[in-house]
Amino acid sequence: MLAPLWLTLKIALLATLLAGAVGIALGWWMAQRRFAGKNFVDALLMLPMVLPPTVLGYYLIVVIGRNGVLGQYLDRWFGINLMFTWQGAVIAASLVSLPLIYKAARAAFEDVDRRFLHAARTLGAGEAEIFLRIALPLAVRGIAAGLMLAFARAMGEFGATLMIAGNLPGKTQTLSIAIYDAVQAGNDAQALWLTLVISVVCVVVLVVSGRMLQARH
Amino acid sequence: MNAVLDLHVQTTLHSPGRSFALDARFVSQTARTALIGASGSGKSTVLMAIAGLAPQVRGHVRVAGRALLDTANGIDLPARERQVGLVFQDYALFPHLTVEQNLAFGLCRHGKRPGEAEQARIDALVQQFDLQALRRALPRYLSGGQRQRVALARALAPRPQLLLLDEPLSALDTQLRIRLRAELAEMLERVQVPTLLVTHDPSDVEALAQSVVEIDAGRVRLKSAA
Amino acid sequence: MHACPRWLGKATLIAALSLGSVVVHAQEVVVSAAASLTNAFQAVGQAFEKTRPGAKVTFNFAASGPLLAQIQQGAPVDVFASADQETMDRAAKANLLAPGSRADFARNTLVLIVPASASAVPQKLVDLTGASYKRISTGTPSSVPVGRYTMASVKDAGLTSALEPKWIYGESVRQVLNYVARAEVDAGFVYRTDALIEKDKTRIALTVPTATPVSYPIAQVATSKNAAWAKDFIAFVRSDAGQQILDGFGFSKP
Repeated sequence: MLAPLWLTLKIALLATLLAGAVGIALGWWMAQRRFAGKNFVDALLMLPMVLPPTVLGYYLIVVIGRNGVLGQYLDRWFGINLMFTWQGAVIAASLVSLPLIYKAARAAFEDVDRRFLHAARTLGAGEAEIFLRIALPLAVRGIAAGLMLAFARAMGEFGATLMIAGNLPGKTQTLSIAIYDAVQAGNDAQALWLTLVISVVCVVVLVVSGRMLQARH
Repeated sequence: MNAVLDLHVQTTLHSPGRSFALDARFVSQTARTALIGASGSGKSTVLMAIAGLAPQVRGHVRVAGRALLDTANGIDLPARERQVGLVFQDYALFPHLTVEQNLAFGLCRHGKRPGEAEQARIDALVQQFDLQALRRALPRYLSGGQRQRVALARALAPRPQLLLLDEPLSALDTQLRIRLRAELAEMLERVQVPTLLVTHDPSDVEALAQSVVEIDAGRVRLKSAA
Repeated sequence: MHACPRWLGKATLIAALSLGSVVVHAQEVVVSAAASLTNAFQAVGQAFEKTRPGAKVTFNFAASGPLLAQIQQGAPVDVFASADQETMDRAAKANLLAPGSRADFARNTLVLIVPASASAVPQKLVDLTGASYKRISTGTPSSVPVGRYTMASVKDAGLTSALEPKWIYGESVRQVLNYVARAEVDAGFVYRTDALIEKDKTRIALTVPTATPVSYPIAQVATSKNAAWAKDFIAFVRSDAGQQILDGFGFSKP
């Protein structure tokens, strides 16, 4: 009954970690640098949040589908096919979560007073240490709020996930897809039950992340 | 005989709507020099350029003969290698680290535990700057005077060759400023590290410096004994 | 005072006229039909419109299960054509059909297809248990008729547990076809009529016998506001003209 819930939590957690690592790194990099075309890169990173999920799903198929730009090599060299796998679902969910983390991380890093970073530099710290010991601890609240939002978003991911991972009960049937499936089959009781489960989880996530953002200010 | 501080720095700062060109040149023979100018004259930029924190600076900076920057000879040391201590106007103490951790920052990389020598140095500074009761305190619980002492101690911990003070007393009210000026004068006398002090207040110059350099609109105008 | 720009007046007039024409167009028949009927019914619709001037047919193609769910939720559909009797039975049980309007109009065959680029072609159903067939696609059994036909045939062949871990479910028979055409799966179960659509990218490996014939029923929806047109469309589908079109796409007589 609850198999879609555990699968959803697993996929959302991994997607948040993956998008988190990439988003925080990019947020730090963009907060530090000034270069021509910076706004363009920023727009590109926010794109998955704005593009329709089916467009994202299509791009993903083009890249990691069996005959895709990357997918064909994965298949030929490693025998790996990401379509219809929960790993593919993780990739789809990471992609849609990335803009949320990137945006929150960049804002949080930009909020850190430059002078702390300067002071650290004059005291002999390298860039890695500045990131780990000064910037990250001071930006952690904003980043954590971003991660929670990303987690909620990853949990609800539907369109791109359906296109990449399909609807395989027990393997890739996440909560959102299970609800869709139940509605398709006319199984209203199941649909309602699953909807309530995911609603409760999302509300909890939003409340907690809201409190974290508030405490910061 | 090498000058204490020999610099000629040129850079341009851009902000929306205006750009600011700095072209500052001076040589100082005294241990404690003041750099005086109105706000916006570029004095803080000079400090940043010396510390290696300003982008795209051309020219040269030599401290007791050692080149930190020498564009003509391709030398441009990154900030972490310049051995310059910098005390900011509002002290910039790391808010999430205790006083002791702030002091240790310049001595131990990546938060490693201080070795014997490092711990001895920290203890000596705590003693010298009267911070015994504050070791485990977080900066937000310290008074202005206490923060100044911690900021100075932190900057001096890695034994820099040059100490830079950016308007150390401007953020304080008059009463406090008079008291801390005296304290600062006494501390600088004790530590014996060549110092460049930036200020807009002539009283600071009198109490703290031995020679003075004046800067106006990005250019040095006058150099004289204090 | 006339402070409004002049183009605003013209735009309003044009908008009103277009709205008016939509309201006037009550000769529109909405037909929800199983995905496998997509190409055939589009042709039928065009022929229907030619012979009845002023008529307009609007199609809604998806798997039979979701179509039924839509009608249950009150979608304004006039005619419903499903790919199996079971879905239509459910519709009848829920009193969604106009009494006496139901009729069978076509038959189809279940086939097993593989990507055109496949090196091996299965000769018998049991070949699918082999290691080279890692992913096999069919429709989601709970809502897509082709999935149910497939599972019944697989069960009859005694291969249910052997094939169980290999299934990749599609939302409709057309999605199954698409998966095979893109070689995302190693084999798939579709109707013969669907396989004919993707002749270049897929190959029919074998015809799969089904316990129940693949029979397509059509009926008028009880809540239809265009009863006359609905009846007329159903009649056209069952007429010689309609049947000839269906035959051209590979369907057999009911």
